[in-house]
Parts: sequence; C-alpha cells; structure tokens
Amino acid sequence: MTRQRFILLTLAPALTVLGLLAAVSTAGAVWFSLMNRVLGSPDYEFVGLYNYLRLLRDKRFFNALEISLIWELITVAGTLVVAVLLAVLVHETVKRALWRNLICFAFLAPVLLPRVAAAFIWRFLYSPSLGLLNWIVGEAGLGPVEFLANPSLALVSVAVVDIWQWGLFFTVILVKLLETMPRDPIEAAMLDNARTWQIHAYVTLPMLKGPLISLALVKAVESLRSFDLIFVMTGGGPGTATETLDLYAYQSGINLGGRVSYASAMSILLLIVTTVAFTLIWRASRKWSR
Amino acid sequence: MAHIECSGIVKSYGAHPVIDGLNLMIPDHEFVVFLGPSGCGKSTMLRMIAGLEEVTAGRISIGGADVTNRHPGQRGVAMVFQSYALYPHMTVADNITFGLRRAGVPGPEIDRRLGEVARMLGLEPMLNRKPKAMSGGQQQRVAMARAMIKTPKVFLFDEPLSNLDAKLREKLRTEIRKMHNSLKTTTIFVTHDQLEAMTIADRIVLMRAGAIEQQGTPDEIFDRPATRFVADFIGSPSMNFRLGRIERGAAVAGSVRIPLPPGRFAVAEGQEVELGLRPTRMERVSPGAEGAITGRVSLIENMGAEGQIIAEVDGADMSFVTRDFRGLSIGDPVSFALSPDHLHIFDRATGRSCLA
Ligand SMILES: Nc1ncnc2c1ncn2[C@@H]1O[C@H](COP(=O)(O)OP(=O)(O)O)[C@@H](O)[C@H]1O
Ligand SMILES: [Mg+2]
Repeated sequence: MTRQRFILLTLAPALTVLGLLAAVSTAGAVWFSLMNRVLGSPDYEFVGLYNYLRLLRDKRFFNALEISLIWELITVAGTLVVAVLLAVLVHETVKRALWRNLICFAFLAPVLLPRVAAAFIWRFLYSPSLGLLNWIVGEAGLGPVEFLANPSLALVSVAVVDIWQWGLFFTVILVKLLETMPRDPIEAAMLDNARTWQIHAYVTLPMLKGPLISLALVKAVESLRSFDLIFVMTGGGPGTATETLDLYAYQSGINLGGRVSYASAMSILLLIVTTVAFTLIWRASRKWSR
Repeated sequence: MAHIECSGIVKSYGAHPVIDGLNLMIPDHEFVVFLGPSGCGKSTMLRMIAGLEEVTAGRISIGGADVTNRHPGQRGVAMVFQSYALYPHMTVADNITFGLRRAGVPGPEIDRRLGEVARMLGLEPMLNRKPKAMSGGQQQRVAMARAMIKTPKVFLFDEPLSNLDAKLREKLRTEIRKMHNSLKTTTIFVTHDQLEAMTIADRIVLMRAGAIEQQGTPDEIFDRPATRFVADFIGSPSMNFRLGRIERGAAVAGSVRIPLPPGRFAVAEGQEVELGLRPTRMERVSPGAEGAITGRVSLIENMGAEGQIIAEVDGADMSFVTRDFRGLSIGDPVSFALSPDHLHIFDRATGRSCLA
C-alpha cells in the first residue's frame, strides 16, 4: 500500500462522519440563514443576506462579540498563568513522589466533573445568602458580594470556575512535563548562579514553549464551547453582561423570539470568524514555537 | 584560581555508599583527571565538588573556603557536561553570557569578554545561531566558552569528549590542554578513557568502586602501577598477566622465566605471584637469549608503524608490540623478551604490586 493511499484510507472514516455531521448541519444553517423563518410559524420566504446585514446593525450582537472575546482572553490567559505558577510551585516544593501523585490526582478531579455539576457547585459557593465565599467575605467585615448578579463581577466569577477546572488540569500536565525535562541545562543554569525563579523563567519554561502554545490553543478552542457553564451560572445575565455569541444565538433563536434564521446567520458568522482567527493564530504559533 | 581539598567524602544513595571516605588534595593550577571504569563514582565525585549533589558526609573546600553547603553558583566553579547542556532556545551568544548576566556584569564588559572567548574558541561566525543548528564539536566549544567566560576558580569537565568522533575528540583534547596551559586554572577532568587521561593529565586519580586506587603522574601510573587493577586498566594493548611463583631469583610462569633485578622487588622465595608484562615493553630477540619467551604466532595486527603480535605461549595468548613484524606470518615460531626494568609483579592474594 502506498503512503498516500494509507493516509486516505485512515482518514476516510473520520472525514465521513465529520462530513455527515458537520457539513450537513452547517449547510442547513446556511440555508436557514438566507430565509426569515420563525419558530411557531410555517411561513417563510428567502430574504438573501438580509439577516447578515441586520446583524451588522445589532448592538446586542456586538456586545456578545465583545463578551466572547473577553471570555476567551480571560480564560486562556488565566488558565495558563494559574497552571504555570502552580506547576512550578508543586515542582519546587513537593519532592516526594507520593505527595506529588496525590496532588495531581486532586487537581484532576475538577475537570472530571460534568460542567453543569461544576456550575451548580459554584453557584452555591457564590450565593449571597448561603454561599461559603460570602460567609468568608462577611467574616472579613465586607458586605455580601453579588458575585453573579453584579454586572462588573459576573463574567470574571464565571471565568474563575472555568479556570478552576482547566487551570488545575493543565497544572498536572505541566508538572509531568517539568519532570521529564533534561536535568543538564537546569544544572548548568544553577552553576550560572540563576535563582530558582530565574531557572524557570529563562530555561525550563522557554524549553516548554511548544507544549505551552499547544495548551493555549487547546484551551482557546475549549473556551469557545462554554455555553453550558455560562448558561447554568448566569444565563447570560445580569442583563447581557455574560452573554457570549453562542448564548445570544440561543436566546434569539430558541428562547425568546424563536428567530431561527437570524440565529443561524449569527452562528455562520461565528463559524467564519473563529475559523479565520484560529487559522491566523495557528500559523503564528507555528512560527513562535520554533 | 584555587586548590581543592576533599576530606572524608561519603556519598550514599539509600544504604549503599557509592563513595566511601574519600580524601583528595588538588593543588592550585593542576590539571587532574579522574579515571576509572564506568560506575566507579567519578561523576558523583565531580558533581559533589560542583555542588550539584549533596555530600552524605565530609567537607569540600575550594581556595581555602569551605564550600560544602554552598549553592553551586556560589562556589566559583564552571562545568562542561558530556551532553553539552546548552540552553536550547538561546543563541550561542546568549548561552555564553547567561551566567554573566545573572551576576549583573555591565553590558559593555560582557560584550568585551564575549568577543574574547569567541575569538579564542573560533565561535565568532556563529554567535547568533541556535545550538540545534550546530555540530557536536561546535556545541561543546560553546559549552567551553560558557565555562571560560566566567573566569572561574575551577574548571570541571565530565566526559566532555565522549559524544564526539575520534578525530574531533583528539583535536578538542589538545585545545583543552592548551587552554589550561595558558589560563592555568585548576581543572578536574573526568574520563573513562585511559589514553585520554594519559595524554591530558598532570596527575591521574584512578578510582575503583568509590575509592582512590592510585594517584600519580601518567608516568608513575603507567610504569609503577600500585595494583593489578591499575596495571590492567592502563595501557593499550593491555598488559599480559601470568600466574607464577618466585624461584631462585627469578619469576617463573610455565616456560616464562624472567630474572629479577636485585633490590627491585620485595618478594620471598616460593611466593605465589602474578607477573605483568606490558606488550609495549617487549621486543623480538634471537631464540635462546637471556629471558627469551618463545611462542607461536597466532595473530598479527598491523597498526601502521608497529604491529601487535599475539603469540601462543604455554597454551595461552600473550601479546607484544614490535616494529619488526612484517616478516612474520601465522604459525611461525617467535621469540621475544621483556626489557628487564619493566617487569611487574603482583601479590596473588592482595593484588598489590611487589615493587620495593
Ligand atoms: N541518583 C542516583 N541514585 C542511585 N544511584 C546512583 C545515582 N547516581 C549514581 N548512582 C550510582 O553511583 C555509582 C557511581 O555513579 P557515577 O558517579 O555516575 O559513575 P561514573 O561517572 O564513574 O561512571 C553508580 O554505581 C551509580 O549506579
Ligand atoms: Mg560519569
């Protein structure tokens, strides 16, 4: 069997499934987006690009776009920062293999929780009257904090849950990566009189640049799919403070107006924007990780 | 520059000591080679001096200051690793100057010193390259430059040439020795290659199973090995050993009978011994000459200027090296003799040399 045929044959099943599931639904969404269908009414007509043009004049759409962007930045950066700091801390302070494995196991637990479960746990923790966090805040002498009802805190509060799940998971990955690093360059840096934090800042983390960029990309893709978390915790509120694009699409397509065609147009636009953005990021990251 | 003093060094991993009560004194400016078979504790010893490994017991001082508990970066040592250990993501220039930048040396001073070592090691054209894009020999030069630029009190080399091919190894060996001749920095060089040790060392510290078996100049180690182990480890081709005994002023092993120079050995009549005959200290003689050993040629190895003859003597192989090997062929009878001052005799029970 030639190499090319082998590649084609092994890719074929995945491509077939992808084609059936993704292409059909995408094509359906494109088809819908060119009409003015509304749930609850069988009448429709073709309206061309009308839905797309309306989107460009929709303030709520641009708000959702902005929230999505901020959500991506906070969760990706937060996850990586937390993971790097915690991994270095564990690597430097916990030397016994048993303790390390226990910590890693504990850090894996949050990401194993279904996201809806995590969302409910944290909604309870955040609760102004019953929540543990507000009890602590209260003990500290500060008034109850409306973590999820305060528009300027809500998005960050939800992001904390996401970072709690993924930051700890990535910590485990980084701890394992640090363990498998070659010792010699680290020892050379010790002889060059680098402090522990300098060794990590100048030697180990740059050596892990490739894996770190991969983790960032994985997290960026993962963060796009946070609908369930946000939906359970705030439902996009208060107001539209945590309404990302997928939430807005859901709200306008299913929940409120049932304007399926308008929501489809939004989804298609979201698809195009993310595809273009990720292609560019992917290209750039290949250059950085060299 | 500094002398190094190690006293009562013990290193254990778990219950089993790898180094057991080792004492060593290295004077200022000396080029010392730790030599020994792999696993004997050379690297462990070097890494303890560098501070990369903690001592279980004992003290290490460098230049009169006790450094036993000092951080590796505070001991004034620079080390070159077998694996080069370069920082893979940094350019050559950044690799070399990393230590100076950590020490807060001002920029212009760093540039001046970088220029100096780069010129010395021929690294000028590749200062902006990454290690990945360089050959092993070039990478090891960068590692040497990184060590030199710090002007340390002590250079430590852990088998720096073992990953290079034979030709490059010889070239860099010469360079390292020349570098020492001009800088005079106290140096410890670890190797398992006895030829490398012989050619480069002021003094060889020969180790075996975590202890010093013998130390001395290459000549002392080669010509006056203190034990059978040293005699066997040093020299290529390796020494011939024969079990024998002392009989009437001569060492006798089968048909081999070598008269003892008076006063050279402290042996008793009838003592059970082992004779050591260096192949390079033997030469062809006419049959029947004094002390001649006679055998049958079983193999001839042409080494260019010289040849190694392996002859069967009393049913066992004995090798010697001669320039006069071209007339011989396999199966020929051959006679050869040891030059009288180069016989080695070891006590069979203790393995210690019987030299007086
Ligand atoms: N980290 C370690 N844990 C356990 N044993 C070790 C460790 N490092 C070295 N050893 C043991 O110590 C002995 C000496 O090792 P080493 O100094 O590396 O030898 P050499 O450099 O002479 O080849 C070896 O028997 C090795 O197995
Ligand atoms: Mg070693």
